Formats: sequence, C-alpha cells, structure tokens
Amino acid sequence: MPHLISSTAPRVSIVVPAYNAAETLAETLGSLLAQTFQDFELLVIDDGSSDRTPAIARSFGDRRLRLIQQPNRGLAGARNSGIHHARGEYIGFCDADDLWRPEKLAAHVRHLETRPNVGISFSGSELIDSESQATGLAQRPRLTGITAAHVFKRNPIGNGSAPVIRRAALDAIAFRPAQETARDWWFDESFRQSEDIECWLRMMLTTDWEIEGLRGLLTRYRVAPGGLSAGITRQFAFWERMVEKLTPLAPEFFARETPVARAYQNRYLARRAVSAGNGAEAVNRMRASLACSKRPLLEEPVKTVTTLGATLVLAMAGPAAINRALALVGRRSA
Amino acid sequence: MLRIAHLIDDQSPGGVTRYLDFIAHTPGMAKLARHMIVPVPRTHPASVRFEADLIVSHLAVSWRGLPGLITLRARHAGTPMVHVEHSYSEGFTAANVPARARFHTLLRCAYALFDRVVAVSQAQGDWLTRRGLVRPETLAVIRPSVDMSEFRALPAPEGRLHNFGAIGRFDRQKGFDVMIRAFRDLPGNDLRLTLYGDGPERARLEELASGDVRIRFAGFAPDPVRAVAQCDVMLMPSRWEPYGIAAAEARAARRPLLVSGVDGLADHVEMGAIRVPDLSVEGWTAAMAQIAGTQMPTSLPARRIEEQQTISGWRQLLAEIHAGGDVIALPQT
Repeated sequence: MPHLISSTAPRVSIVVPAYNAAETLAETLGSLLAQTFQDFELLVIDDGSSDRTPAIARSFGDRRLRLIQQPNRGLAGARNSGIHHARGEYIGFCDADDLWRPEKLAAHVRHLETRPNVGISFSGSELIDSESQATGLAQRPRLTGITAAHVFKRNPIGNGSAPVIRRAALDAIAFRPAQETARDWWFDESFRQSEDIECWLRMMLTTDWEIEGLRGLLTRYRVAPGGLSAGITRQFAFWERMVEKLTPLAPEFFARETPVARAYQNRYLARRAVSAGNGAEAVNRMRASLACSKRPLLEEPVKTVTTLGATLVLAMAGPAAINRALALVGRRSA
Repeated sequence: MLRIAHLIDDQSPGGVTRYLDFIAHTPGMAKLARHMIVPVPRTHPASVRFEADLIVSHLAVSWRGLPGLITLRARHAGTPMVHVEHSYSEGFTAANVPARARFHTLLRCAYALFDRVVAVSQAQGDWLTRRGLVRPETLAVIRPSVDMSEFRALPAPEGRLHNFGAIGRFDRQKGFDVMIRAFRDLPGNDLRLTLYGDGPERARLEELASGDVRIRFAGFAPDPVRAVAQCDVMLMPSRWEPYGIAAAEARAARRPLLVSGVDGLADHVEMGAIRVPDLSVEGWTAAMAQIAGTQMPTSLPARRIEEQQTISGWRQLLAEIHAGGDVIALPQT
C-alpha cells in the first residue's frame, strides 16, 4: 500500500515533477534537501524526459530521494504519480525549475499542525529569472478568509511550487476515471493547462477543507523571459474547459462568478501577452476582459489600469518601450 | 416509562418527517420509550411546554435559533438533551457556506448545549469529529429508518434494465440537473427517466428535459413504494446528503442504485450502492450507459432489516445516557 502511514514513514513527501529539467533540477533538489525541517522523502517523478534529468536525480545519493520514472503523462499525471507513491501526512509540490527557501517546509508543517481545518497551506512567491536572480517582482496574494470565489478569480495559491497539502484533503477529491486502471487521480490529467486551479476549485466546491496562506515569500518561482504568446489561446481554452467541467458541481456559483473570473483570466493573459511582446493579443485580451466585467477595475484598479496602460504602450510604441514599464508595474502591484 | 420529547420545526414531507413517524409508531421503538412528537417554533423551542425525561432535538441549527436553544437548555437544566443532526454535512458546507470557520463555530456552540449528538451516517459522524465539532465520546451514529417492509416485498426488476427513476425534492441539493443532462446524452430509444417530486427547481428541470420525450415528470409521489415499483434503476446524484433514506429504500427494493457518493451516500456505497466517481455529466452518462440494457444481476447483496439497526442504535444510546448517571428509566429489554 503506497499511502499507508506507518511510524517509519516520513512526515512529509515532497513531489518534484520533472520533464527535461536537466538545467535546473540540481538547484531545485539542492534547495529542497537544504530545508530546516528534515523529516521528509523527496519523490522526483521523471515524466519521460529525454535529457539527463534521471541521471541528475540519481547523482544526489541522498537516501530520502526516490526517483520514479514513467512514460510522459504531463504535469498533472506526474503529480498524481507522486501522490500515489507518497507516504507522508503532508505533501509538498515543487516544480523542477523552482526553489524553496530553507524555512518553507518548517513553516507549512507548523501551520498544518496548528490549523487542523486547513487542507492547503501556501505562501507568496518571489519571481526569479533564469540565473536565479530576483526580478524584483513577487506574488503576494490574499492569505486568509479565502473562499471558492477568491480561488476562481485570483487563484491565491499562485503557482505549482507554493502549496503543501494535507494528504486527507487530497484523498477527499480522489477519483478514478473509467479508463484508468492503475491508480487514482487527484489532479485531472486530461488538462494540460489550468490543472492547478481545477484541482483547488474542485476541493473548495466539494469538501470543507480550507485554503490558507502564510506570510513571506517562501517560494522562488522562475519565470522564463518573454514566454510564448502562442500558448495563450490554448491556455484560455483549458480555462474555459475547467469552467465547463466544474459548472455542474455548483451551477449558481458559476453563474454568479464566471463573468468576473473570466475578466480576470483575460487580464492575466493580456499581461502574459505584454511580456511576450504581442501587442495585438494583449489588446484583444484587455478588450475581452473589459467586455466580461468591469469588476477588476473596481476591485484592483491599479493593476487593471497599469495592465491597460502597458497594453497601449506596447501596441503604440512596441516591445522595447514596455520592458522598463512592465517591471515598474509588477513592482508596484504584483 | 421513559418519556422522550422529540422536538421538530419542520413538518414538510420528507425524510425527517417520515423518520419521526417511524420513531413514534414502530413497536420496536415504542418498547424503548414513550415518544412524543413536539412541534416547536424554530427560534423559540422553549416556548412550548412539555414534560419529558429526555429531550431529542431534530431542529435545524442556525445563528438565529441559537438563543432559543440556550433558553431550552436553561429551562430543562436537569434533563438530558440529545441533538440529531439532520441538516448539515461536509457536502452541505462545501456547497453553501463560503465562511467555513464561522459556520463551524456555530455548530460547536450549538452542539455544546447537548449531552449527546447523533450523526445520521458514519460519513457525517466522521466529518463531525474530523472538524472538531463534536467530541468523539459524545457522538453516536444512528442511521434513520422508515418502515421498509413494503419495499422489501416488491419484486426485483425483470428483464433488461431500462426504466431509470429519481425521487426527491426538486432542489439543487439533489443534482437532478446533472442527471437529466447526462441522460439526454445516453443513446437508446427504449430508455426512460422518470422524476418523482416537486420543488423550486421544477421549471428549470423541465426546461433541461424539454425535447427529450424519454424523460417524464410524474409529480410528487405520496406513496414512494409505488414510485420505486415502476423503476428498474434508481439515481441519486446529490450534491449533499447527510444520509438519504431514499437510498435505503431503493436498496430494500433491490433496485440497482447509482449515487454521487457524497456524505451519507458513502454509507450506502458500503451497503451495495454504485458510486459514480464525480458529479459530471460525462461521468453520469458513462455510469448509466454501463447499466442500461443489462439484465438484473442474479447474485444480490444480502438484505438486512435496517429498521432493526436504527432501533438498536437508540437502545444503546439510551443505555449509555443511563450509565452516564442521568436519571432516566431504562426499559426492560
């Protein structure tokens, strides 16, 4: 039984999904093994990499590290395999290019111990570049009083390396689709984007586990420079599919919240288009956002107006003008 | 003989009312005590005068009703009090309560006024203890019951299973919207889906079903035995369900039963119901497709007389209250 909790089992399992992550994996694993809280196992899920990812994982020679290899199933599938093999009472996730501050795990374990109703403990993140240098940007989300509507609109958990989750809360949302014979799913593997938000929102809508954050930027989250604007349409399609999938669970909730959430999602994609230097896409997304709802203007006026401004600067003056402006925007309102 | 006052604030037709009828009129229950059903106003339960050796609340807890419960406790300071939690569950909280911590506080405050709290399913009981709402030593699990002899007397469905049925209040709680959408995606001209019930969602459900002649609305069923008799397969896609007596009835009638598995429906899965993995249209279509047109299985799970378990649950609870030092007269068993 993979998830039997015995006295010899570690308190925590850290799951690292890794796909062709040879460049960053060693630094990621180093940051995890250097945690001040030491009672954990480290599960590296090699999701069908064709580079040196498995060799790097093996080279650590730490008894707490276990390498699990599988044919490629995508991020959700790699996380699910990690959960399936995890023996800890708490399960942390860290993508193979992100870093944890040394005190992160200790803080989340303490939080989950003292707050028995909290299913997902998370924290804010510092954004780093490909050289692991701070960009000056950060995710500083709402930490307390989080409802399903907050998760839907702004996803306070922010990124896949931020949460440490109670095993019992994950098991409350486990399911096994008809075509799956080997193990349960926790994340929905039919999603290649929006798999995080689908999982968190499903937990909020079907269980009474709470999501709560800790102060501090305990995760260092790597953002690729530029990024691809080609993925934006696909990302939005998966987001809409998530809405379509979950709507039957709570039709009134989605009828009430979807227009505003869609406005926020479009605004987020506009910001991604801006950083990818795609002015036309950014303009389209901001138009779509305002057409869905004006609430982001009321609820987060600074961020919405600066995104609008950046979009206009980009559309009129081109990508060169935007880089400095974008950094300023992020520093003030991220 | 021990006198028990059962306080109720809701006499609309439904599970609670039928359970109270069972408590008041079943010989096995009458052997335990003299049961008085006492209707009370929800916010002023202490305003009704009665004399009893034990008070059992079947009331719905709310902030508005909390002062009334405190008054009730004060007025009957020497009388042991039991609360049966008919309303709330994890699924209820997930679907209805954005501010969970505040809601948990309400339940903790209310339950603290009672000597014992009765969960109506194991799953609900697990939730009450997991959330620290009830101390484990004060919790008892007693699944409700009604007289199910007529359901047991029904012949099992014969031939190909093709008549799907659902019974219940037309409320979003029941998830009938998902069921109708899922059924519409199911091929098979000879398949039927009949909904027995009424309620605020009626127009919306009719709208969802319109255009599919295989779906029928049969109205409120005063006699659920007759309704079940007309169905081959029963469906309960509930969004929350502290217990779900209708599921026990379907099982007693040997109808294959598809459930969402939330809350108390998990108890029914352990007793033979089929769990549909998630409350999605695709999931329910797939589950119905798997059973539609098949023959009734020949080997069925052994049936138990679940009424007896309810009665023995109460017998044990009364014995425990007695052993705990409360002066209540125990019946001879």
